[in-house]
Amino acid sequence: MAKKVESGKENKKQKSKPVSGEMSYRLKCAKTANGLSHFVMYGDVPKEKTLL
Amino acid sequence: MSNSDEKVNGLAVHSIDQANTVLIDADNVFWAMTAKDAQGAPFVSREVLSLYQKQKDSLDGEMKQFRFSAELSAVYIDPTDRCNSNCPYCYVPAKMRKHGAQMTKEQLRQALNKVLDYFRDKKRKPVIIFHASEPLLAKEAVFSAIREFKDKFSFGLQTNGLLLEKEDVEFLKEYRVGVGISLDAPLRSLNNKTRPSAKGGNFDAVIRAIDWFDGYQGLNVISTMTKFNIHSLDKLVKFLHSKKVPCVLFNPVRLTQKHSLKTKPDEKLMTKNFLKAVDTAIELSQSSGRRIVVANFSNTILGIVAPEARRMMCDISPCGGGRCFLTVTASGEMIPCGEFIGLKNSSGGNIFKTGIKEAMQSAPFQKIRSRFVEKIAECDACLYRNICGSPCPAELGSMGNMFQKAVFCEFYKAVIRHAFKLIAEGKEKYCFREEGWDNLVYNYQL
Repeated sequence: MAKKVESGKENKKQKSKPVSGEMSYRLKCAKTANGLSHFVMYGDVPKEKTLL
Repeated sequence: MSNSDEKVNGLAVHSIDQANTVLIDADNVFWAMTAKDAQGAPFVSREVLSLYQKQKDSLDGEMKQFRFSAELSAVYIDPTDRCNSNCPYCYVPAKMRKHGAQMTKEQLRQALNKVLDYFRDKKRKPVIIFHASEPLLAKEAVFSAIREFKDKFSFGLQTNGLLLEKEDVEFLKEYRVGVGISLDAPLRSLNNKTRPSAKGGNFDAVIRAIDWFDGYQGLNVISTMTKFNIHSLDKLVKFLHSKKVPCVLFNPVRLTQKHSLKTKPDEKLMTKNFLKAVDTAIELSQSSGRRIVVANFSNTILGIVAPEARRMMCDISPCGGGRCFLTVTASGEMIPCGEFIGLKNSSGGNIFKTGIKEAMQSAPFQKIRSRFVEKIAECDACLYRNICGSPCPAELGSMGNMFQKAVFCEFYKAVIRHAFKLIAEGKEKYCFREEGWDNLVYNYQL
């Protein structure tokens, strides 16, 4: 899931939960420069998710 | 809510609710959530400020690139202007829906080849979405194009479902087409009021099709929020979840055409019921282990945690119309977005006579790209300006001035506040499809 952290600790189970009352984070798409394949709307429908 | 909020080292201090404060840079959407102390004052640590200083320049650059680059990723094609329904809020003029143009199979091929020409040197596989009025009135041409160009494009289809047959559903699944299907309410009588047809409405056809799709992950349901259906949004979420639909989109009705004003909902009621639907989707996703996401709320969360991963372009400023996508009408006119159909001076040329490159450089397209939040009164001082994007230029332009704030400005503010609250509660992952969330990686984390 989480692969790269520049600041703070990596915690794969906590992409968000506040630590000591504070949190700040920024995520990026791992697949394309500015878009996710198969995300919320149109675009690639992955083969393995296509229920025929 | 404005830049006049107190600032700490360049970050505005903005109260979300009784428990949480957010520090935010509205230009690049750096944010940090901090709990309040017993007196209600925010606690701001040195770590937050130093993280901000470290990230600021790169976030500024990324946001600028994301907002102001003009790189197409999708083309909407209307293979026909005609429709077999008559929704009271439709942005396509009634005359066009009755007597408009329709592409032949050969014309559609020609249009797709023009799109292909434009993308020949680009790395990205373009997305083609067959869209309004009702593309399945040109079903043979559309399906033939999907067969022929299956390796060249990713395809999407937006339909009212009235003409969908079982074999069509199998075809769309086989070719992995993303399908948006229109449904406004979980009750036949209520739905058919705003989604009419010659035989009453599209309810029965849509339910039948949803059953045929049977949990297909490329399916989403699009629902237009009007004064008629706002009390049933959460019920629609429950209904769709029970039908294994993975994604629903609740669009506030656009008032681009005057007649749609008759369907305008009360903004407060719409906000309350939309957020109730969002919470219902999260509860169902948590409790059942099978997710249903409210796509436009997901996009708001993305606007905060991963702004550059946003795909729905209405909430980016300048909007994606004529920048990230364009629409080709059935007569071949290239316009920045479908919302501009029938609006004067919006064509960037005809695809059968000129190219996409020329359309992108045309005056109408440049005009839309010139509308951004820093030029709009109130938005220019709003901390949420780069999360909301202040849609929509076509709608506001049709009202006389596209340089004004969004019609449903208060709705967007409340939705963004709710998104921050859910992030504070650690619930944001339930707003995404699992694989979508897993494809996001940290840029930084405190």
